[in-house]
This record gives sequence, C-alpha cells and structure tokens, in this order.
Amino acid sequence: MAFMVGVTHLFRNYIIRNNWIDVKWVALIPRFMIAMVVFSLAHYLFIILISFFSGNLNGIQEFNVLYVLASMLQSMGLFGVWSLIYLSFLYFERYNRSLKYEAAIKEIELNNLKSQLNPHFIFNALNSIRALVQEDPLKSKKAITQLSNILRNVLKAQPQETIAFSEELATVKDYLALEAIRYEERIEISYEIDKHSNFFRVPPLMLQTLVENGIKHGISKLKKGGKLELITQRVAEGLQIQIKNSGKFMATKQKKSGYGLLNTEKRLKLIYGDQASLQIGNENDHTVLTQIIIPEPL
Amino acid sequence: MRAIIIDDERLARKELNNLLENYPEIEIVDQAVNADEALEKIIQLDPELIFLDIQMPGKTGFELLEELEKVPKVIFTTAYDEFAIKAFDVNALDYLLKPIQEERLKDAINKVLAVQASALAERAQEGVSEIKEQLGMNDQVFVKDGDRCWFISLKEIRLFESDGNYIKVYFNNVKPMIHKSLNALDEKLDERSFFRASRKHIINLSWIETIETWFNGGLLVQLKGGEKVEVSRRQAARFKEKMSL
Repeated sequence: MAFMVGVTHLFRNYIIRNNWIDVKWVALIPRFMIAMVVFSLAHYLFIILISFFSGNLNGIQEFNVLYVLASMLQSMGLFGVWSLIYLSFLYFERYNRSLKYEAAIKEIELNNLKSQLNPHFIFNALNSIRALVQEDPLKSKKAITQLSNILRNVLKAQPQETIAFSEELATVKDYLALEAIRYEERIEISYEIDKHSNFFRVPPLMLQTLVENGIKHGISKLKKGGKLELITQRVAEGLQIQIKNSGKFMATKQKKSGYGLLNTEKRLKLIYGDQASLQIGNENDHTVLTQIIIPEPL
Repeated sequence: MRAIIIDDERLARKELNNLLENYPEIEIVDQAVNADEALEKIIQLDPELIFLDIQMPGKTGFELLEELEKVPKVIFTTAYDEFAIKAFDVNALDYLLKPIQEERLKDAINKVLAVQASALAERAQEGVSEIKEQLGMNDQVFVKDGDRCWFISLKEIRLFESDGNYIKVYFNNVKPMIHKSLNALDEKLDERSFFRASRKHIINLSWIETIETWFNGGLLVQLKGGEKVEVSRRQAARFKEKMSL
C-alpha cells in the first residue's frame, strides 16, 4: 500500500513536470500504457523483494508466468484507474483556472471602461470647450484635439497590455491640460520626470486613472483648489511613480474600491505578479501621495 | 425674473450666461462659485430662480438647498449625475445637462415662467400682500430624507410634527424628516395659514377636516390626510377665536 502511494505520487510529479495535460489524447494513450506496464512490473518486483526479506518467498509460485501476469494485471488495473482519475482531475482543474482567469480579465476590462470613460469628466470638458470657442478659439481647437486623443486611447486600451511610459505620459498631459481649462487658477500642475522613465512600460490609462482620482477626490473638493505633482524616479526595484495631490485620504471613509484602486491593484498583479506595488496615503496633513513601482521590463 | 447662477467653473457660468442672453425675462442678478457664497447671495438678493450645479467644492448643491429656509425655483445644471437626479420624483424638478441644449433650456425656462405666472395670478385673486420676512403658501421648501428629495410648496404640507431635533413633514403620502427646530419654523410661517396647535405640532388650517372637543378643554383636529392632532388647552381659545373669524 505504501508503495502504491509513493509511486503514484512520483507519477503525479512526472505528469506535471512533463506537461502531459498539454499532450493530445492520442499521443497520451501509448505513454500511458507504457507507464502502466512499468509500474505494475515495479510493483511486482517490490512485492517479491518484500516477501524475500520477510521469508515468505516460496520460490516457485512467484515466478510462474501466469501468476506473474495475473498479479501484474491486477496492479495495472489499480494504477490505471487511479491515473485516469488524476488526469481528468488535472484537466478539469486547469479548465476551471483558465475560466477564472478569463473572468478576471473581463471584469477588469469592464471596470476600466466604466471608470475610464468618466462621463462627468467628458461632459464637463465639452462644456468648457463650448464656452472657450467664443473666448479663445485657438485654445478651444487645441482642447478638442486633446479630448480626441484621450477618447482614442480609452477606446484602444487593452487592460492586459502595456504601453511605453512616454505614451501614457502624453495621455496624462492631455488629460491634465483639459482639467486645467476647467479648473483654471484652482489647479497647479507640475511634472518631474526621470529621463530613464521611457525605458519602462506601464498598463495603458493606469496613470491617467490615478491622476484623475487625485483631482476627483482631492482638488475638486477644495474651494481654493490645489496642486498636483507627477514625479518619476528610477530606483533599484524599477520605476517609482509618485502622484502628489492636495487633499486628504481617509482610509476608513473612502474604501480603495471607491478610488478604483482595487482595480489598478488587480491589473498590476495580473501583469507584473508581485514585482509591482501600489500604495496610497497621506504624505502630510494636506497632501495625498499615491506611489507605484513598476519593475524593469524583461 | 431675477436669477442667480451657481457653478464653481467660470467657463460653465459664462456659457450659461451666453445662452440666457436670448431670454430677456431672465435677469441674472449675480453669480456664485460655491454653496457658501450662494447662501449669502440668495438670502441677500432673494432671487426667484437659481441655476444650480450639483457637484461643487465644499458643499454640494443639495446641501445648499437644505440650508435655505425658502427655496427659490431651481434649475439644476449638471454634467452627469444620474444618481442625484433619480432622487427626485418625476416632474418635481428641472435639470439641464451640460453642455446645455438650447431646446431644453427653452422648455425649462418656459416651465418656470408658467409656474410663476400662475402663482402670481393666485396671489392677486386672494388679494394677499406678502410679508417679506415670512413664507407664503406658494413658497417652496426643499425636503431631503435619505436618498429622496422633494420640492414642496407650503400649501401642500398638512402638518409639521417635532420629533427630537427633527421635524416630520406630512404631505402627499409621505412624512420625511428635516433637521430644524419647530420654534424657528413657527416664526417663519404665516400665521394666517398655519397654527401652532401644541408644543409638538403646527397644522395647516386649510387642511382641517373636523374639529371635536377634547379632554381638559382641548380640541381634537382631524386633517384631510387622516392625521389627528390635539390642540392644547392653552391654544384652544386662540384657535376658536381664529376659526370663528
């Protein structure tokens, strides 16, 4: 019995290591048969050894061809049934996992669409542009182009992919330019971008979402407005991106989900595993700091 | 019609101003960039109409309305606020989505003008000259209870009932609570229309159905909505005097 458990365990590892579940059914059958024969032979030898050492070997019956075949067939049957069950279990498990993965991707995609096509932003931007047409036609033309860029990027963004940091930065700049038209003197924007930043790749619209959060939950709530800073720096773990905005982060009141942060966290995990990180908190009494680490590209 | 525009964005205010140039009936007397400034200007200028943005820094448009004793006609202007708009009963309010469609603006303004015209006609018929400091029967109040909101004119309110720090407002088939004191409210209400029945109740005289005598020289008033309110002995004499006139 102990032998059976030990061998099946080895077999299981062997199956996993050699990716048998990726092999076609037809190719699998002969391999399976060979494995069965090898196992039953090993099993029979093991039994003989045991009986030899325990002194129960009677020397004739054990080497009778018919007897050998019969007991081999018996253990083959046992192994066969067990292995079949195990293989189907593996198949099922893998199928399940791929479904879950797909569902997670779909959910993220949907959430992205919802959070990134923020209608409040789009319609407010359009409203400012409408007023701007009269006041400053040149600026209004530029604003229309900026809004188009953002809409285009939202439409083409795939949540599993990454894009060059410079591309994402361009979207963020367009976005902030439009918010600056809306908020006028109530928003002060500054950038401090490490020249190595372009070496990195980021998920599309991730920075834009986080910057938008900073405005929506921070600056837009302040009567006098505030500051928004985007700072990147190359560090040992990769690229450190910091967003600092006026406001106060209340962890108890505003759950991460409210910030769309949970979604961003999921995306980072999906793309970079544990190598990326996202943190948010109060840098001081009146500044919220959002910090992301993006690992070096492979 | 005197109006105030309340919006935190300069360009949004400018855009609305531009659109309103076609309506000489609407006179923009002032603008406000947040709820606190708006509160001051509304009290000071007593406009008949406000264009109100919902999302503003500091307090929201709703919070502003809750602070007002007397609420002017309101046209909400908002970019996208499904939530906020769903809080209202259909037809209870007008809202314009930014960027504002000229047709929608026209409808909203015509509606407000029509309501005002009928209120004026009613007032002229009754021959009532309003005392500025008090709330008239056609003045509306803003009532918010949880997620639900109402604009309700005083003539539709049957009863105010104090309940701790709150007042229950009875109208239609609802009785939402507002955070106010009954004494402060009593001072604002026109005593020809409303009567302080007891420490806990103010009733709308035009909603009275029956009056019965009650213990200790008090009275029991039944309202058309079915509510029964006791008039205290002290108030009963005043009440009789008032009703016999």
